[in-house]
Formats: sequence, structure tokens, C-alpha cells
Amino acid sequence: MTNRLVNILLVEDDEVDVMNVKRAFAKNNIQNPLFVAGNGVEALEMLNNSIVPLPRIIILDINMPKMNGIEFLRLMREDDKFKNISVFVMTTSNEDSDKIDAYNLNVAGYILKPLSFEKFLSSVATLKNFWQLCEM
Amino acid sequence: MKESVNNCEEELEALKKEYEEFVYIVSHDIKTPMRAIINITTWIEDDLGSNVDQDILDNFSLLKNRVGRLENMMNALLEISRVSRTNMELYEVNIPKLINDCVEMLDNKSNVEFHMTYHLKEEKCITLGKKLEKVVFSLLDNAIRFHDKEMKNVIIEVSENETDYLISISDDGPGIPEEVQDKIFAIFYTVNSKDVVDTTGAGLTVSNRILKMVGGTLEYVPAIDKGSVFKFNWPKVIRI
Repeated sequence: MTNRLVNILLVEDDEVDVMNVKRAFAKNNIQNPLFVAGNGVEALEMLNNSIVPLPRIIILDINMPKMNGIEFLRLMREDDKFKNISVFVMTTSNEDSDKIDAYNLNVAGYILKPLSFEKFLSSVATLKNFWQLCEM
Repeated sequence: MKESVNNCEEELEALKKEYEEFVYIVSHDIKTPMRAIINITTWIEDDLGSNVDQDILDNFSLLKNRVGRLENMMNALLEISRVSRTNMELYEVNIPKLINDCVEMLDNKSNVEFHMTYHLKEEKCITLGKKLEKVVFSLLDNAIRFHDKEMKNVIIEVSENETDYLISISDDGPGIPEEVQDKIFAIFYTVNSKDVVDTTGAGLTVSNRILKMVGGTLEYVPAIDKGSVFKFNWPKVIRI
């Protein structure tokens, strides 16, 4: 059963947000392997050099140093190998321009980081439902 | 002469860009540590388990409430800065319908009676619908939120003259003390302590900004038998 769990790559620069995702995974009993990249450059390196197993799902922050989420997404979508990865943008940005940019690059979902952990838990529970479908 | 006008325009554009970048930074970069405070608080609370002093739990809840306030204030600042940048679409609005929609969106309206009166030749108009909705909603929300009686009455009257719609929203609540009436449009000002009524204190500030932008005015008039009356005129023709 375990070997069918899809790999998830989290691209996030904020340590607390990384802990937040890990914690929400534990609370929701999500056991998928989770890999973390601190920014777009690092994530691209991980993907291109197969440092991590190919993820089916990427959770992507937008505001990051070095290469932001939108730039990363644009470069990633240019590569055929990574065209089918489902990307969920998870960000504090409520700017229409960021949402439009993200949807133009074919994202599966756009999640605003809520202030409370409880709300975040329920967002992650929704994500879990989605990627369980990917595992079928 | 022409050159100096061009220079001014360029400078204005540069300032606008700088301002927008500033707002963007405020909205994202400050929210991140704010969220971290809330999250870490929740984790500590969670890790402490169930055998915790009530005092500690109360302090946790105070801490989270105050960070929540901070977020609301931040959102209000952003909203004010965006008054003339977002939701600027002109479209056809049916005024009574817009007011009914605002009533629908209100929380805690179970003990409220709404009394609407319309003196309009034409109920439809082309206007900045989202902005009008924001003003009407804020005034209705205030009328209920700060009301001090079990049964509440809110009166909405809409009429028109040649150039403007005249909208008045009144209630039979406590009214606003005379000595603070000139302060109510200031941002984050609340008549009572925020511990009594949890509110950000930005609704009137935002409404006032919107009215200034469209060329209307918002004024407070004390009701004869206590309570508050807020009146504003909304120009029929809006140039943006």
C-alpha cells in the first residue's frame, strides 16, 4: 500500500511554514513522502538532477528569494518531463496578478495561507482527498 | 513647460509604483511572521496536552485574539490603500436589490427588523456597484454590531435629486457620544474598548474614502430619540 503513496515536493522558504505543512500532514495522517526545497532554484536542481524521486504533486510558495514560485513554475512547465506534475500554489498573496499568472501556468489549486492552523489543517485535508485520487 | 509636466508625470508614475510595491511588501512580508506567531502558539498549546491551567489557556486565547486583531488592522490598511485600485468596474445596479444583498450578507441579524423606503424614479443605475455595496454594508454592519438592545430596528431610506442618490441608514441603538463624533471617521478608532465589541474600526474610514473618491459625502447625524443616522449622497454620474 505504502509504495503507492505519491511523492510530494514542498517549495517553501519559511521554516515555520515548512513545519506547518509537516505538522498538518501528521495531524491529517498523511504519510506521503515529503521533500522540501527552499526556493525555485533549489527545486529545479532537485528535479533536473533527480536528487529526489519525481514528485506527482508540488506545493509551491510564491514569494521566495532567488527564484519565486511563478518563475519556477514557468521554467518547470517548459520541460516535458514535468508537464504532468500537479502544482498547488500555497501563498499569502491575494493579488489577482499572482493568481492569473499561476492559473496560466496550469495549476491544480490556489490556496491562501490562512492565519490559523486549524483552517490550514482543513485546507490540507482537502488536498489529501485530491492526491488520494492520484494514487488510485 | 511641457517638459516639466512630463517630468511630473514620470515622477508620479514612479511614486505610484513605489507605493504599490510598498503595499505588496506590507501585505506579504509582514503577514508571514504574524502567521508564524499564531501557528507556533497553536503548536505549543497542542503539545502541552489537556492537563493545562486555565490561566495559561486564557493567555493563549488572548495572544491569538490580539494577533488576529493585528491581521485585521493590516487587512484594513491594505483595503484603504486599494480603495481606488480594486473593484473599479462600472455596471448596472438595481439599488433595492443591492441593499437586500447587503442585508443578506450581514451576520447576527436574527433580532433585527429592517425598514426600507425607496423614493426612486428609476431603481437601476450604472455605477461602481462593489463600492456602493461596501459603503451600505459597512453602515448596516455598524448599526447592528454596536446596537445595545435585544430588539433592533434599522431604517434604510433612499431618495434622489437631480444629481445624486441620497441614502440614509439609521438605528435605534445607543448613538455616538457628542464628544467623540468628530473622531469616528479616523482609522482604528472605536467608541468602546475593542474588548467590549471586537471590531477593527476601519469600516467608516473605508466608506469615507470611497465617498471622497466618487464625489459624495458621508455624515453622522444624531437621531432625535437616541440612535444614529448616517447619511450619504452618491453621485448618479461617476467619472473614473
